[in-house]
Amino acid sequence: MSAAVLLSGVTKTFGATRAVDHLDLVVPRGAVYGFIGPNGAGKTTTIRMMMSIIFPDAGKLSVLDHASALDAKDRIGYLPEERGVYRKMRVGAFLTYLGRLKGISEGDLPGRVRRGLERVGLGDCEGKRCEELSKGMQQKVQFLAAIMHEPDLLILDEPFSGLDPVSARTLRLLVHEEHQRGATILFSTHVMPHAEELCDHVVMMHRGKKVLDDPLSTIRRQYDPRAIRFEPLDRDADLSPLAALPEVERVSQSDGGCEILLVNGTNPASAIPRLASAVPAARIEIARPRLEDVFIRIVTGGSDAADTESLRTQLQAGAEPKAVPV
Amino acid sequence: MKKILLVAVREFTATVFTRAFVLGLMLTPAIGAIGATLVPRMMARSAPVQGQIAVVDPTGAVGGELADALSADRITGRRADQARQALIQAPESVRQVAGSDGGRAARFALGSVPQLTVVQRPPDTDPQQEKAWLTDDQAAPRRLALVVIHPNAAVPSGGVYGNYDLYVPQNLDDRLENEIYQGLREAIINARIKARSLDRATIEGLVRVGRVASITVTKNNERRTVTGFNQLLPAAFAALLFIGVMTGGQALLTSTVEEKSSRVIEILLSAVSPMELLAGKLLGQMTVSLLALAFYVGLGLALLVSFAMFGLFNPWLLVYLVIFFLIAYFVIGAMMLTVGSVVNDMREAQSMMMPIMLLIMAPWLFWIPISREPNSTFSTIVSFIPPVNAFAMLLRMTSNTPPPWWQVWTSIAIGVASVVAVLWCAAKVFRIGLLMYGKPPDFATMIRWIRAA
Repeated sequence: MSAAVLLSGVTKTFGATRAVDHLDLVVPRGAVYGFIGPNGAGKTTTIRMMMSIIFPDAGKLSVLDHASALDAKDRIGYLPEERGVYRKMRVGAFLTYLGRLKGISEGDLPGRVRRGLERVGLGDCEGKRCEELSKGMQQKVQFLAAIMHEPDLLILDEPFSGLDPVSARTLRLLVHEEHQRGATILFSTHVMPHAEELCDHVVMMHRGKKVLDDPLSTIRRQYDPRAIRFEPLDRDADLSPLAALPEVERVSQSDGGCEILLVNGTNPASAIPRLASAVPAARIEIARPRLEDVFIRIVTGGSDAADTESLRTQLQAGAEPKAVPV
Repeated sequence: MKKILLVAVREFTATVFTRAFVLGLMLTPAIGAIGATLVPRMMARSAPVQGQIAVVDPTGAVGGELADALSADRITGRRADQARQALIQAPESVRQVAGSDGGRAARFALGSVPQLTVVQRPPDTDPQQEKAWLTDDQAAPRRLALVVIHPNAAVPSGGVYGNYDLYVPQNLDDRLENEIYQGLREAIINARIKARSLDRATIEGLVRVGRVASITVTKNNERRTVTGFNQLLPAAFAALLFIGVMTGGQALLTSTVEEKSSRVIEILLSAVSPMELLAGKLLGQMTVSLLALAFYVGLGLALLVSFAMFGLFNPWLLVYLVIFFLIAYFVIGAMMLTVGSVVNDMREAQSMMMPIMLLIMAPWLFWIPISREPNSTFSTIVSFIPPVNAFAMLLRMTSNTPPPWWQVWTSIAIGVASVVAVLWCAAKVFRIGLLMYGKPPDFATMIRWIRAA
């Protein structure tokens, strides 16, 4: 089966800034792809090029077997990062208008609008003006506008930004349902846990370049952790014996315990008994690799600890990290 | 094409089915109707001016005549006479509205008849002392003028008639001063006639040749000539064009700014291309403008019919109004869309609108020179320069001496070319500007976008 999205050597420059640099990407049909990276990594620019809202300076692009998304717009659902509603328009009229633009037949439209609103818990809001809805409710309406025409490809740019936990959960369920229906999902986020939770394949962007493009399972295997989470039996116990062990590279304090980074090449299974004998433990576990850690490791090459912490802080704040020597 | 029409329909309904649009549409005729009915009544109720006019008359013959000539009866008579002359070529219905004796029109134009008292001073009065009398602005009744009659005003000296000197206080109403001039003229003429022992009625009979209403003859019929209509028509058409362009242009700007500031634009762009969006918006607001235009034209035609003046109007001018409206609308509308696409809010839009507003207002500066000389070199050149050519050519076409057809169609061709060029540039800026937030681009940046896109 052909790919839902295919990018080859796609490049886009704004003034002196190269937003996307020779990007190659294949998104197979039916996949759930997470497009991750900090703000400014080039995710939104890439998505806008996929949507033919802007056009690449170089490279080739194919969406649902069309050279331009303009030819397949009615089969694509798109939730942009910068999204809003017509404030004075009624919710039902807004969805009807977008449904018409997406090619839904007049006969189907009223039913789809009504069912869609009920599906997201806004069944009683059809006659309300959009400005009367809360921000979270408006986001649900926007999401509904993106999926109402049952697209083959659903592109979501930072879909969870600004949502409260309950609304985010509703949205995750809807994304899952769309995937079950058979839609290919591509979503971008700078919040790594969202990607870990939803997608089966991850593409990482950094400064316009793709730095990782693998299934989540492969990433977990490949970036086998050297980190152990350690919680001492006595909360006031002296942890310095842990740092003195030859298998341990670094010990850093965390809530109620510490995180131990093992020396490269150390087998965690053999290290765990030695750690437990050095300091009596209430809990010892191998830390699962987080995408955030993988990203930082790729970008920094695991070099300087200070740079790593700085990068992590910036990543969690959603900002573009400052230059880090790789 | 279907998506363009869908965008156009939304633009139309979102603009037209609002209270603001309906009120805006009704406001101009409502103001006109209120002005036409209430203002004359209110003016008629204004208290007449009362005051004194001092006369130093060494001839002894003019002062008494002046008191008669400035009496309320004589002023009313002179005004009615003037109104009859002015209305002689107005349509019958207008004459009826103005009143059979022209008195109603005169009252509206000149206000209430003033109550003037002529105070005669001794013949040897020093005019300098009387000037001090004139400058007392606290005096009651008001002191309105000092007239010093020349000694030879009624009887010539050395074969030459003298005149008079008129002194007035500051801020005297021009209309009142004019009444005094006319009264003085009548008084001095009467004094001269009496000095020669002549009969005024005989002389008036000799010199009076009444003005008649001319008859306009065409190939098909002939009718009483109506003047004034041809002066009003260009202004009316220019106003219609202005209203049409501003209605659509302003709505294009605000709807684009709203879509951008509310961040709905990218959702729209996921369903339609920027070009479809641009075309749909232009088309939608064009129909809004045409609706407003049709409303005002309909109202104007209804007025013409009710005043039995429809025959004076060439219906083909409406066809050219639509053609030149479309040219002006697409040029100005595309500019408005461009501004709307590159700004973040209306405050930023206002500062970028200045050059466009100057372009829209420019025809009003040209209105008088073009109306006076529709075929001068200036008028001809302006009617070929876009985007003001639409306004200028329409002014010329509705004037007494319309331009030759080759000029009309050359202007239309230039207009169409300018529409294509402006739309081409606007589309390029629109496409990029829609997704740009932050500081609006300067003119040089937009030029770069046009060249690069």
